[in-house]
Amino acid sequence: MNFMTVAWSNLRRNPVRSILTGLSLVVSAATLTVVIGLDKGYSSAVNSELVESTGVHMYITKEGCPIEAASVIAQGGLSPLFVEEELVERVQTHPNVDAVLPFKLFTVTVEDGSRTDIFMGVTPEIQRVRPDWQFASGGWFESEYSVILGAEIAQIEGLEIGDVTYSEEFDREFNVSGILERNYGQDDATIFLPLATAQRLVQREGRLSAIALKLTDISLMDQSRNELRAMIPADSNVLGSRELGDGILQFYSSTRVIMFIMVVIAFVISVFGIVNTMLMAVLERRREIAYLKCVGAGKTDILKLITFETFAICVAGSLLGAFIGLAVSPYFGNFMRSLLVAYVPSGSIAQPSLSIALLAFLSCTLIGVVCSLYPAFRASKIVPMEVLRNE
Amino acid sequence: MNNNGYLIHMESVSKDFRRGSETIHALREANLSVHPGEFIAVVGHSGSGKTTLMNIIGCLDRPTSGYVRIADHKIKDLPEKELTQIRKTTIGFVFQQFFLIPTLTVLQNVMLPGLFARQNVEKRARELLGLVGLKNRLSHLPDQLSGGEMQRVAIARSLINNPSILLADEPTGNLDSHNAGNIISMFEQFNRTGLTIVMVTHNPDIATRCSKIVHIEDGCLTA
Ligand SMILES: Nc1ncnc2c1ncn2[C@@H]1O[C@H](COP(=O)(O)OP(=O)(O)O)[C@@H](O)[C@H]1O
Ligand SMILES: [Mg+2]
Repeated sequence: MNFMTVAWSNLRRNPVRSILTGLSLVVSAATLTVVIGLDKGYSSAVNSELVESTGVHMYITKEGCPIEAASVIAQGGLSPLFVEEELVERVQTHPNVDAVLPFKLFTVTVEDGSRTDIFMGVTPEIQRVRPDWQFASGGWFESEYSVILGAEIAQIEGLEIGDVTYSEEFDREFNVSGILERNYGQDDATIFLPLATAQRLVQREGRLSAIALKLTDISLMDQSRNELRAMIPADSNVLGSRELGDGILQFYSSTRVIMFIMVVIAFVISVFGIVNTMLMAVLERRREIAYLKCVGAGKTDILKLITFETFAICVAGSLLGAFIGLAVSPYFGNFMRSLLVAYVPSGSIAQPSLSIALLAFLSCTLIGVVCSLYPAFRASKIVPMEVLRNE
Repeated sequence: MNNNGYLIHMESVSKDFRRGSETIHALREANLSVHPGEFIAVVGHSGSGKTTLMNIIGCLDRPTSGYVRIADHKIKDLPEKELTQIRKTTIGFVFQQFFLIPTLTVLQNVMLPGLFARQNVEKRARELLGLVGLKNRLSHLPDQLSGGEMQRVAIARSLINNPSILLADEPTGNLDSHNAGNIISMFEQFNRTGLTIVMVTHNPDIATRCSKIVHIEDGCLTA
């Protein structure tokens, strides 16, 4: 016989009460599992959707270089600042970097100044970094001197797939392998070339205008920016893209607050439940506990006994609750989807996992045990003389 | 060690309780000396201070004034921890109520104090249950027993740590005369093996079976 046997036998004395106490923990653990699962699922659904729908998240440039094409074009021709190509491999090693697009941007103005062409040397990564960069017809470069044309320039020049166009400036023929969808941005007027070709045409082998990055998790944007900055030479810079305002990230953090308020409420209810029932269980056994003290039980013995009782309930309730939470999470995911008004991501909202269930189980057990400390403490303070009190 | 050969020694012990503005003198200048092996009956009206006396002998309460010695321990300034230790090793308690845990078996109930003494008392528990005539009821639950049997379980439990003193506060108060007689026979049997017993009782017939009767009236003891 040990303390656990006695604690267990005490629980069986009032099974209904023990079960009800356990149930409040079942509810807490289940709520916690569901809410953390929803929070995680919602964040990652929103995140992946944002990552999908947005383009460049960051640029790596030479210090002081305003990368936006407008300024390059305004200068006319070729910016004297450049980023070393070797940085591409370096930034690729960062765990939060999803795609890396090195590019070479330059403009060519015809001698009479009547027109300026924008050229951009790119790698196939552009299709991953820029979701709005889509072919209207044709496809990727077929050879070294293939070009892909923005919608507007193709229209102005009257070019179609398979056409060959002559460039006076470079004294060379280019064949058109693809034409892009109009996206009402700078792309519409840009002539895209293979990166190596572009570098060769302006004698800038191994040099880049800048590197565009797409992240895996944009909520880690600030942290990643600092880490990247540490990976590159001091005269280079990491700029955040204008595309990603803080607004959308803020929106979903307020949704998370609402979910966590739910958890807090569930916890407060169960904390009161546990404290209340355990206190009752202790107070109605006053004289019996006093008797145990008569026969030599010390303060710590009583503390231990009562805490064991609660511990058993908490472990059982939390375990059951965590599993129930895992099981019902998907239903709550669908329910949440019907409630969300402002921003509903397309991915799965609920993302339950064993580690979440484990976290819920441990924290509920811990809270349960902490809650039992007060009743246990009260019990340990009962004086043995009470055993003989006349009622 | 000068203990005059007494196992329990009380000199001019008083115990006052306050109830509001009123002071109740539950014990007044009480003197009591008990030799090892005595079987004392404490007799008195309700409210005369019997339980208060037992509380003080049992180290459950401290006197307001006076000198108390139990075995070799002077109780006066001992910290609570040591009083617990004395109760654990030297004193057994039996009450009118049995305080059996309903979900523990007879054997487990008897073994319970061993849990707090951190001792394996199973062998001793079986032996004691044999002595009180419950050898065949070890795995029964308390509510399967009669009142007399429950009190016998309680007696076995009170003796599990081999105390030298058994304090019994109206142990037959809840029992009919037949069962009461059985319990007293059992006490006599343990008393013959050297156990010192102090027992509170209302019943004059039971009192006359003891080696000494102490009368208590309004907190005053008279032998
Ligand atoms: N804890 C207490 N607080 C106040 N008064 C008490 C307390 N315990 C006992 N008394 C009073 O002391 C007197 C003696 O009580 P008690 O020893 O229980 O008598 P008995 O056991 O002989 O019936 C009674 O008047 C009782 O009301
Ligand atoms: Mg009494």
